[in-house]
Amino acid sequence: MRRYETIFITHPELSEEELSELQQKVNSILVSYKGDLIKFDDWGTKKLTYDIRKNSRGHFFLMDYLAGTDLIRELERNLRLNDRVLRFQTVRIGDQISPEALKALKEDVGTEKITKTIERPEPPGGGKVSDEAAPEGGEKA
Amino acid sequence: MKPPVRKKRSFQRRKVCVFCADSGMKIDYKDVKTLNHFVTERGKILPRRISGNCAKHQRELTTAIKRARNIALMPFSIAST
Repeated sequence: MRRYETIFITHPELSEEELSELQQKVNSILVSYKGDLIKFDDWGTKKLTYDIRKNSRGHFFLMDYLAGTDLIRELERNLRLNDRVLRFQTVRIGDQISPEALKALKEDVGTEKITKTIERPEPPGGGKVSDEAAPEGGEKA
Repeated sequence: MKPPVRKKRSFQRRKVCVFCADSGMKIDYKDVKTLNHFVTERGKILPRRISGNCAKHQRELTTAIKRARNIALMPFSIAST
């Protein structure tokens, strides 16, 4: 299993229903191909720096997950076929994630910044570099 | 910026790569704010001799900028007025 990150941009004027439908679709692919979702972010509607299919804005989604190659193929196929999706991009951000590392990743989603290497000498939450959190490590509570 | 001095070319020159100097800085294609420091007004990637980056980080930077362009976070080009 490798760690991937996919950003996809949908049409800016989709209804709630259409959005949740799309998210369910993505989720069902993840489940059926035994992927492991780490993070699903909704960036909201943002301005595009150039028009894509005559849209100057788009709704951004970011997902961070573990997957095998077949999952990626299926996911990208679906995104490609869906005309509500304007653009997508998948990037591999980690290799061979062990179950322990995955657990640690899930724990510090939110504070964690995307890094290329997953091996960390310190325990999760221990030596985290955060500018706001108290130095006593009170953020774990 | 460029002084018309011919003999002495040694004006203030950033010799060290910003990413090497500050290890806390990460190159991430989603971090447009940082990437924007390394492109021209037209959206072109700054060459290494200007930015002073080391080869390794320049390489990472270029891929990051290209990825950001791909998902419309950064422009391929900005038309001149």
